Formats: sequence, C-alpha cells, structure tokens
Amino acid sequence: MTVLSSLALLFLVALSSLTSATSDYHESLILQPLPQSSLLASFNFRSNETQESFDERHFRYFPRALGQILRHANTKELHLRFTTGRWDAESWGPRPWNGTKEGSTGVELWAWIDAPDDEAAFAKWITLTQSLSGLFCASLNFIDSTRTTRPVASFELMGDHSASSNLHLLHGTLPGEVVCTENLTPFLKLLPCKGKAGVASLLDGHKLFDASWQSMSVDVSPVCPHPDECSVQIDQTVDIVLDIDRSKRPRDNPIPRPVPADQLACDTSKPYHSDDTCYPLESTAEKSWSLTDIFGRTISGACPLADDHAHEDPVCLRVPHEREVHVAPGAVETKKSDGFTRCFTLQPSTPFDLTIPEQEATTQVPLEEPVLRAERTIVGNGQERGGMRIIFDNPSDTNAVDFIYFETLPWFLRPFVHTLQATITGRDGVRRQVPASEFIKESFYKPAIDRERGTQLELALSVPAASTVTLTYDFEKAILRYTEYPPDANRGFNVAPAVIKMGSHDGQNNHPIYIRTTSLLLQLPTPDFSMPYNVIILTSTVIALAFGSIFNLLVRRFVTADEASALLAQTVKGRLSGKIIAIRDKIKGKSAKTE
Amino acid sequence: MATPAALPPLPFNPSRVRTYVLRLPLFTRLVLLAIIIFWLLELQTVWSVVQWGSIIPEEAGFGTMYRLNTYPFIHLGFFHAFLNVLALTPLLERFEAEHGTLTAVALFIGPGAYILIEKFVLHRNTAVTGASIWVFLLLGSEAIRTFKSNPYFSLGPYKIPTWTSPLFACALVSILVPNTSFLGHLCAILVGYLLGLGALKFFVPPEKILRWIEGKLNLLGRLPHYVSVDQKTYGRYGVLPTTTTGGERGTPMSFLGTSQRLVNVVGVAAAAAVSRPVQPTIPPHHQPNHHGTTSPNAPDPMALKSAVRKLRSNPHFLFVHLPHILSFICIVAGVVWLLLLPLNDYSRQTYISENALLPGQVHAYFSGSEQHVFRGYKKELEGILVGQTEEGREGRNDEFTPAVSGKIQSVLKAAGLKVATQNYEYTSSGLTHQGQNVYAIIQAPRGDATEAIVLVAAWKTVDDELNLNGVSLALTLARYFKRWSLWSKDIIFLFPPDSKAGTQAWVDAYHDMQPAFVQPLPLKSGALQGGLVIEYPFDHRFESLHILYDGVNGQLPNLDLFNTAVSIASGQMGIGANLQEMWDHNDSYEMRLQTMMRGMVKQGFGYATGPHSSFMPYHIDAITLQPKGDGWQDEMALGRTVESLCRSLNNLLEHLHQSFFFYLLMQTNRFVSIGTYLPSAMLIAGNFTIMAIALWLRTGYYPYSQQSPVGSPVEKPTKEEQAADPPKTSNDTPKPDTKNIRERQLALPLTLVVGLHLLGLLPLYIFNHIPHTYYNPATYTTILANAVLPLLLSSSLTLTHGLSTQQSHLIKSFSLLTLGLFLSALATLNFSLSFMIGLLCAPLSFVNRINPHSVSAPLRHVLAVLALVLLNLLSPPVVLVVACAYFGVDVESVLTQAAFGWDVWGVWTQVVVCT
Repeated sequence: MTVLSSLALLFLVALSSLTSATSDYHESLILQPLPQSSLLASFNFRSNETQESFDERHFRYFPRALGQILRHANTKELHLRFTTGRWDAESWGPRPWNGTKEGSTGVELWAWIDAPDDEAAFAKWITLTQSLSGLFCASLNFIDSTRTTRPVASFELMGDHSASSNLHLLHGTLPGEVVCTENLTPFLKLLPCKGKAGVASLLDGHKLFDASWQSMSVDVSPVCPHPDECSVQIDQTVDIVLDIDRSKRPRDNPIPRPVPADQLACDTSKPYHSDDTCYPLESTAEKSWSLTDIFGRTISGACPLADDHAHEDPVCLRVPHEREVHVAPGAVETKKSDGFTRCFTLQPSTPFDLTIPEQEATTQVPLEEPVLRAERTIVGNGQERGGMRIIFDNPSDTNAVDFIYFETLPWFLRPFVHTLQATITGRDGVRRQVPASEFIKESFYKPAIDRERGTQLELALSVPAASTVTLTYDFEKAILRYTEYPPDANRGFNVAPAVIKMGSHDGQNNHPIYIRTTSLLLQLPTPDFSMPYNVIILTSTVIALAFGSIFNLLVRRFVTADEASALLAQTVKGRLSGKIIAIRDKIKGKSAKTE
Repeated sequence: MATPAALPPLPFNPSRVRTYVLRLPLFTRLVLLAIIIFWLLELQTVWSVVQWGSIIPEEAGFGTMYRLNTYPFIHLGFFHAFLNVLALTPLLERFEAEHGTLTAVALFIGPGAYILIEKFVLHRNTAVTGASIWVFLLLGSEAIRTFKSNPYFSLGPYKIPTWTSPLFACALVSILVPNTSFLGHLCAILVGYLLGLGALKFFVPPEKILRWIEGKLNLLGRLPHYVSVDQKTYGRYGVLPTTTTGGERGTPMSFLGTSQRLVNVVGVAAAAAVSRPVQPTIPPHHQPNHHGTTSPNAPDPMALKSAVRKLRSNPHFLFVHLPHILSFICIVAGVVWLLLLPLNDYSRQTYISENALLPGQVHAYFSGSEQHVFRGYKKELEGILVGQTEEGREGRNDEFTPAVSGKIQSVLKAAGLKVATQNYEYTSSGLTHQGQNVYAIIQAPRGDATEAIVLVAAWKTVDDELNLNGVSLALTLARYFKRWSLWSKDIIFLFPPDSKAGTQAWVDAYHDMQPAFVQPLPLKSGALQGGLVIEYPFDHRFESLHILYDGVNGQLPNLDLFNTAVSIASGQMGIGANLQEMWDHNDSYEMRLQTMMRGMVKQGFGYATGPHSSFMPYHIDAITLQPKGDGWQDEMALGRTVESLCRSLNNLLEHLHQSFFFYLLMQTNRFVSIGTYLPSAMLIAGNFTIMAIALWLRTGYYPYSQQSPVGSPVEKPTKEEQAADPPKTSNDTPKPDTKNIRERQLALPLTLVVGLHLLGLLPLYIFNHIPHTYYNPATYTTILANAVLPLLLSSSLTLTHGLSTQQSHLIKSFSLLTLGLFLSALATLNFSLSFMIGLLCAPLSFVNRINPHSVSAPLRHVLAVLALVLLNLLSPPVVLVVACAYFGVDVESVLTQAAFGWDVWGVWTQVVVCT
C-alpha cells in the first residue's frame, strides 16, 4: 500500500471517527514531486451534512444544487469523474487514492438509485444524467441506454445504507468527452469557499488543464458512524500531475524554444565536447519550484469555514526531510515521523507560498511497484474485423493477483466471445497458449442489442505471479446508418476504457484498488458522405425533369382543335356535360384521347 | 458464297457502317483528314497550331487571311476534335452529296466563304477554332429544309417550329460543353438559315462554270469519291454517280437516311459514334489485305457494287478481322491515352484537400542550440561505431549491434521517452535477416493514447548506406519534441536496423499480425495516423528533398501527405522537392512523361521503395524524405521540415482520407487522378476480352466453306503459331450441315486452362522457397521449361485427343477471357502493373493457328519456331533476365515479389496456354 494512499486512509479513518452529528468541512492539499520533473498535487475537499438537515433541505456546507438533484433523482450514492490524460504508472508509481478517485478518460458516472424496479431506476437515472449535465456543463445527457450498464461486481457501495432500500447501480461512460474549464468552474462552485480561499484558491484553469494528467471527482455517500447518526458526505478531489518545467514557463512566452547555447547542460567529460558540440546532460538534481511558479498564484489564506483539527494541517509536502523548503512567514511546519512528509498550517487571509530550491537528490520518496499493469489495444487492420488484446502483467514474484475486469463495448463493436483466447508468458519470455478458463474464474456477459444497449463483460480473473497474461478476442465492426455518424469531422469512435478492480493486496482491509486502461479508437467503415449528396441531387434533378414531363403527358387530355374551340365556347353547364360524356366514354372503354 | 444466316444476328449491321464510311465523298474525307492531321500536329509543343490558325480578331488582316480557312480544322483538344468530327461527318457528307464536291469546296473554302464567315466571326474577341461553326451552319440550313417539308413538331398542345431545333441544340451544347462560344454557334445557325432560305444563293458559283471546270479537268474520272455537280439533281437519296441501278438503294441508305433525320446534334453524334471506330482505320488496314483488287475506287461500276455487296455479306470479316482490328485499336488507344496524360489538359495541379493540415502555417523552432545537441549525439554514435569496427572487425556495414541499440535506448530514456525493443528474424531465400528494433514513444501530454504518428530513422537507408545523420536527427527531434505540450497524438520514434525487414516486423507486430519469429511489441500506442521516414546518409549539406511515396504492391499514400511535404519543403523552408529521381525536372512534356513512367514502373513492380512502404498495407500513409544534392541546407532545415510536417499531421482530426489514393504524379505539383488514367489500362484489358468473345462466337458455328472466294483470306501470316495436325482440320471442313450451329466441347479447354493456371503456382512456390544461390539455374530451367512444355503439351494433346480447331479456339478464348477479366480488375488496384502486363501480353491476341492449307510446310515450321521464340521472349523469366533480373535477396522483395509473382505467373500460364 502506497504511503500516499495510506495517508489518505489515515485521513479517512481520522475523519470518520471525528465526524459528529454536526456538519463540518475539511480541505487538504498534498504535494509530491514525482520522477521526470513532475509534481502530483492532490486536492481534497470534504463536507458533511446530517441526514436530518439534508432531508429538511437545510444545507450548510453541502452544495444545495447537487443536494436537490440527488433528492429529485432518488440517488443515494453518486460518483462522478472527469479525467484527462493517462497515468504513467511506470514512472509515477501507483495511483493516488489507489485509483478510487479516478475515472476513465472523459467522464464517468455511476450511482446507486433507490427505485422499486429497473425501469423506474433507469427513468431516475436519465433524470440524474440530464440534471448533472446542466450542473457540470458536460454532455452527460448523452449517457443513454446504449451507454448505460449495470455492473455486477466491479463497484461497491462506499457509504452505509439502510437495508430496506432497494438500490440499483447504474454506470455510464463518455470516453470522448473533453474535460475543460467549463467543468472546473461548477466544480469549484460546489465548495464552501468557492476557490476564493483555502487550498482551492490554487486551482486555476490555465494551469490545471495544462497538466499531464488530471482527474476531478465528486463522491456523495451517506456515512453512519453510529447507527442512528447518519450524515451525507460529499468528497471532492482534484488530482493533477504537472510538468514542472512546462508549468514554470512564463504565461506570455510558453514556447519551448531551444535554450541559448551557453545555458545548455552538457556532458563536458566527452572527448568531443566543444563549443558547438554538446552531449546533453539530463540533470539529476531535483528541480526548484514554488507554488507561484507552478500554479501561477499563492494560497490566499485558509478557508475560514474549514474545521481546524489540531493535528490535521491542510497543506502537506512529501519530500525527504533533509530537503530544504522555504515557506512564507507565519506558517507552521510539522514533520511527520515517516521521514518524507511535512505539513503546514495556513493562516487566515495571509498568502501562503512554498519554495523548494534546486538540490541534488540524495534520497527519493519510495514509489511502490504497481500491483498490476494492464494494457488494452485494438489489433488487426481493415474496416470489417478487428481484435481486442488485453495484457495483464503481474510484476510481483510471489503473489497472484485476483481482480475483476469490467468492460463495456458500444453496440457497433460486436465481440465474438467464443474466440476468447489466453496466452501466458513467464519471465522466460516463452508464450504458451492456455485455455482461458484457467484464468477466468467467473464471467458475466450481457450481449449487445443493436441500437439499444452495449455489450457488458465482467470477468473475475487471476494472474499468476511473475507472468503476463494476454487475452484476445475478435470482433466485427457494424455498419452504421449514415445518420448515426457524427455530423462533423471525427477521428473514429471511442471505446470506453476497461475498469479493473482489485482487492487490496495486503488483505488487511477491503479497500479496493482500481486501475483503468486507456480508451480506444475504433475506425468504422465510413462512407463518402458527399456521394449520397451528389446522388440525391442528380437523381432528384433527373426525376423532376422526367416526372414533370411524363406526368404532364399522362394527365393532360388531348383533344382536336375543333373540340377545343367547342369546349371553350361552352358554358359551365356544357362543360359539365362534356365531362360526364368523357367519363361515360371512359367507362365504356373508349379512349377519349385524340391526337 | 458464305451464308450470312449462319451467323448470329447483330443489333446493327456493321457492314452498313462500313459502307457508309467507305462512301464518304471526297471533300468530306479531306476535311476529316485535315482535322485529324491538325489535331495530331497540336500534340507537339514547338509550334502552336492554335496560335497559328485560329481566328483572333486583333490579328485580322490581309496577311492573316489564311486563318479564315484554317480555323475549322484546328481544335483545342482530342474531345473537341472528336465531337466535332462526329457531328460534322454526316452533315457535310450530305451537303456534298447534294451539291457536289466543287460547290462544297467553293462554299466552304474560297472567297465566298470569307464573306460568309466574316459576318459572324469578326466581331468577337476570343480566338475561334473548330469545325463546330460548320456543324451549326449546316444544321441551320438542314433545319430550314425540314421546316419546309414538315413545319412543326407537336408536343402536346404546343407546336414547335422545326427550324428552332438547332437553337435548342446550340443552347444544349453551350450548357453541357464548357468553353463553347454560344454566340459563334448562334451566328453560324443564322447564316445557316439564310443559306437554307436561299438568301445566299448568290455566293454559290454559277453551275455553268462548275460544270466547265469539271468537264475540263475530268475530275469525275480522276478523283475517287468525287461527287459531280450533276449529282445534285439526284437529290439526297441519289446513289453514287457510278451506280446505274437503284436496286440496292433501300437497304444501305436507310441507315443514313434515318440518322440524318435527326436534327439534334446529340442524335447525330450518336449515329456517328457507331461509325467512328471503323472509320479511321478501315482504309489503311483493310483495303490492301482484304479486298486487294476489288477496291471500291476502281473505275468499273459492277466491280464496285459487288465489292460492296461482298462486304456486307462477309461474316469472315466481321468475326475474324474486325475483332483483330478492334483489339489493335484498343491497344493503340490505350497507349496513346497514356501518352496524352502529361499534357496540361489531362493532368491537374495538386492541392491540399484536407483543410485541417494547414501545411507550413506554424513557425518551426528547431534550430539554435539543438544543433549542438545534434552534433553531440552524432559524435557519440560515431564513437560507438568506431569502437565496434576496431573490436569485432565487423565494419560499419554490419548488423545493428547491441551497443548501438543500447546507446539509442539510453539517449531516449534520458530524454524522458518510453523505450522498448523488439527482436525479429526473417528467413527468406536461404538468408536470415535478424535485428532489433528500438522504438520510443512520446506520450501526448494530455492525449488518451488513441492516435499516433511514426517517425522512422533506419540505420541503413534503402541504398544500404549508413544513416548516421538521420538517426542523430531523429534522436535530437525526440528530445526536442518532448518539451512541447501541444501534441494531440503520440509520437513514436522507430529505429530499425535496416530499411526493409525491420519496419515491416514492427508494423506487423503493431497490428498483432506478426509471424512467429517476430516478437510482439511490449509497448504500444493508438492507431497510427501517418508515418515519416528520415534519411540523411551523408555528411555534407544538401540541396533538395527527394520524396519517396510508393508503397508495397503499388499502393500509394494519400496525396495530401505528399502535397503537405512538398508545400512545407518548398513553400515554408525553401527547399526544392523532387520525386522519382528526376533531379532536373523542367516541367516539359518529356520530363513529365519520364517521371510518370518511372512512377509506373515502380508501382508496377510493387516492391518496397523504403521503410515507408511497409506502412501502406495497413492503411497508414507514409513517405520517406531523402536529402539529395550538394547545396546549403543543413540537417536543421531537414529537422524543421520534419517538425512542421509533424505539426501538420498533429492537426489532423480524421485519418487522411480527403484526397486521392490513386494517382500518377508527374511533377511535384501535377498529378493525374484515377478517373483520367484508368481508361488506358482498361482499353488494353478490353482488347483481350474482345478477342475472347469473338473466338467464343466463332467456335459456336461451323467454319464456312473454305472454297468460298471470300473466306479464302489468309489469316495474317506474321505471327502464326504452331501448326495443328492437318488431318483433323481437314476432317472438319467437309461437314455440310444445314444448321451451322454446333455444340462447344468445353471439357478439355476448361481443364487445360484451369490446370495450366494452377501449374503457375509451381514456379511461384519454387522461387519463394529455394535459397538465393539457386536462383540463376532455376531461372534458366524455367526458361527451358517454357520452351519445351508448350511443345510437349500440344503434341501430346493432338496425338492423344486430336485437338480440333474449335478446341484450340476455345482454349485461347478462355485464357484471353481470364486475362481480360484479371487485368481489368487489377487495373483498379494497381494500374501500372495491369498496364505493363497488358502490353506484354498484347501479342497473345493476335496469335493464331496456322492454317495448314494456306502455308507451305517449311514456311509453317519456320513461322512456328519464330512465334515460339517471340512468345518465349515475352515470358516472365526471360523478361526478368533481360531486365537485369533483380532477385529479392531480402524479405521485402520476396514478400512483394510473392504478390507480384502471382500476377506474373498468371501471365506465364497464359503464354503456355496460348501456344
């Protein structure tokens, strides 16, 4: 278990125990430099509201807008994720919060809805997505029946729920959704201090969305420390991995021009080193940075609404204790016993800044090996068929990894489950084909229905120690109706990432670990859209011309000139009788037409 | 006399068309000839015929009066000429037939015409060319004539005066055909009306004078096809002056009569189109060898008449000679079509079709201290290479060594990229190619791993030179690109040890399609959107960029990618761009043609021209950039070009799809698209199909009596084939049957054709599996087998089964049919290959069995041997040897040659079958 996540758990446990029946608010920021000049910043905001005041619509810290939506949609527990980029587990180690506060690329939403049956639950779900769509300025309203699944084993209730409620879990993903500032603004508005004070004041859209990886989450769940004392808790997090070099570039000159030749760090030990020849030396020193450099602003004092717990300081920095850190005057530094964590208190309405000078790294904050690496890619070529390849790599030499693999596929991707095959590669690099059932302990498969619902596949898998398991299956790409293609330029269709849920590997508690694969791009056979247009225009013109003249010839009655003049001379009565005669002729079978 | 009833009915009677064409009067012929000659003259570029002969009002004067006579003969292009010829022929023929040649000459060319034409021409500004003026003039006068006899169309209640019809035609033409002079046509029609109304009678020279001239010069006797002034008294249905009876009048003329009733230009064109293919070739080709003595221009009227009759009732011509002629025309037209393509009228200027690319719209910053880094990397790599040379005595041209691979990995890792390696091993032709690909991925800072661009720098270029600068440049670029945050797609840097196998192994593994001896990739990214290959195998500065774009099996990258590269190199960076090794391209016709031909040859062979070629089968567009020449551009300029190209590709929202995938490039900024060049290969493929159908038709009927004087014609003895056994053929001849339809014996020919095609798999297998050292003997063995196998086969066939004429025709028919089908299908995929094979196989259409009755035995044998030698010369192995046989020693060539081999062996079987 990573130190970071254990720290978070510590928070959780501490807070849970301290949570009283009164509402409260707490916020924190953890900064941790990562290898390759990256910086992880984890913001956490948590507020409570007692169940009684929530039911009475009396909101203090809990955001009213969200509370009303949840009540309206009968939602007991809500999890919403906005994520961009991908977590580089190889360099950065395990995910913050063990992946529990992270979503798949784009927007992911799952919720437990109290409803008598599935139909009612789905109706409430639609209500929920539509409302959240408006609240968060995201296209959540596009989560329709084809994108909604009901996972069986992949997600667990976080909060404490009464046994009497009839909860339905619904899950939806929008892998193509672009997360940007319009999602951040409503997110900040849910906070009691609205990003004006406290650690939230660091959150600036420009810097936040320049991050290499970034995830925002909203979790709402009921928490009952005592059976009769329940409260509704909202937990908001923002996790970002910033590139220190990139963030330090001035905003008015962000172009990474080649550095001047005299500032180039060169390996002078090379024999060929000269004024115009330079083998670049990547410096091993820890980069210098400050909050102002990275975020473009300072923390503007503590949020006055936050509860001050004597032993919980809002800003924590995880660097070795021997590392030199300068802080703004007035802040109190507390060094934790683990040797890597130090925390700072904030003064109300006093700006807080934190500066770390460049220093040769002697010790590093240890990064744990991820429990499992997963990679999912589409293989094959051509527009008709393809294959999915999922690689699970267990780096541990001793423990097998058990996990639940959950994926949803859009209906236009039709998997052939009978082609599911597994190969296992040991550390010796020899691939062996084995029956998939050797790894798959349980499976839940719900096939797609065209234009109604997508495929849902949940597998309980076990990967042996020190080995790599590759699952492959083939699929077929459906041909869409031409109105089903997106109207504008598109690079393909996004397939939602797979979600992997592992039990905690230390076995002490059952807090799960989540990892998610990257999303996929599915190239469907795309027609030349200008062709139907051309065909329609051409055929319409031809048909209009042909139809016009033929219809005219068919409908028009041809008479001789004499008849015509006679007809013209006739009165209304005469014309009527003439028509009657014509009809009579027709009935008799005589042709009234004369050339 | 052969019985025409024995032949299948045709939708129209071609002999009538032929008659019609043969009977075109003198002046009409001359006009048509002049038009064609002038059109051919326009093909050369030295002397602008259009400039010389068209009417340009500014240049009107006494010195340029000749223009008034020349402009109708001069056209602006093939289609202009063709359409006008179609439309003019029937009209002019009719006019001349009615008014006499002399009158026509006098009216259309001569002082009278000046006044006629001046009226409607000189007040216009544009240069006037083309015979369409005449067409409309004649149409106008015809319309007046029709109006006199038949004043109205009645369409419903409306009555439309018939004299308006040329106006409709004129309007239609000006709408449908671009760049037509509506006003000019209108004026022509007006004058035509005047002529038809008789208002211009005074221009017509007095009949007396004409008669006098005619009589004095004895024109009627001297000139063939001359129409006398007297002739006009016969009216339009008059027969040729030499014919005395009107007995034959009804049938042959009805065709003309009906067609000429059509006042609409379209109608006329349609009718004339029927006559067209035969028209230009019949006189030179047919008259000498078919008719011989009974040419229609002989003075004896009876002889002429019988010749005409013979022609009409001569099925031999229709089913034996006509297909030959048609096939020949197809081939000639196909080749001529191809030769026309480099002209400005048929090729197009390139353009960027995908707007998202925005080539050259960004500033490229790759310069300054990056060059120091570049030198540093280069020195570092050089150091390792030198060390290798000293230690292992392996030299710089050896395999990609682990030390180099390790250095590249460490450099990339230091730059912060994700690095992985892939081992591969290919065995082909007894040679083993193994190596290790190193590749690294810059993960797009905010990307989701769904798309990627590939940058390839191979250690060895296509020409097997050490690509040290290219690899160093790629490493520097990797370090430089890593700093940018704007990438929306991952960028993959691939360093294969060679240019052919390594890239192929990597791309195959990327799509999980790799063979067993190629490792799967440990690290992957999203769908590949584009590929760039950098080659810089020398140390000095370069002058221009050579862009390679041909893929495996003749596949091409999207034209937009090529255009982007050209526009960035020449537009943004000021580096010239070349293609197809044309270093001094001066945009002349010859240079364009040469460029196009080189492109076609490469496409036709279909082997990989560089690392980029391996990407094409996976629908990944890729090109290779090769610096060439000695100039002042340094590696940083190449780096900036690559940077700008990557920025353009990074902009792409969709996979490259907007522009063409099928094109022929003839200059960096000119191309021909598939719609324009495809007919060329299709015509050539069509010639086989025509022959096959004709042979099929022939086999359904008994050969008509050999004693018939008409049937006697010799099948052209130039390219005869091996003789069949005489007794069988003579057995066939004396079968008098009232019903001439007979069953086809399909079993033997079908088996033979299928079997021989399958036999083609054998050399394919052998050549792909034997070690390369045995290639030479194998080739010669194949040549020998080629020579012997047909002889054995045919003799054994004739001895055991008794191969009848019908069966041999069927065999040929089937093989030609397969060939035709195969080539036309292939033309849509690989135009150049289809075209080349089509040309190589062209003689097959004209190969026949020697008629044992007509040729003496020694001559027959000589001919047979000659033909055999000829065909063997055309067979693939010989072509291969003659063309300095390039045998694929490495994987790519073998792989591509396997694909190519299929086609080649397909052809080879055709050769076997037809002998």
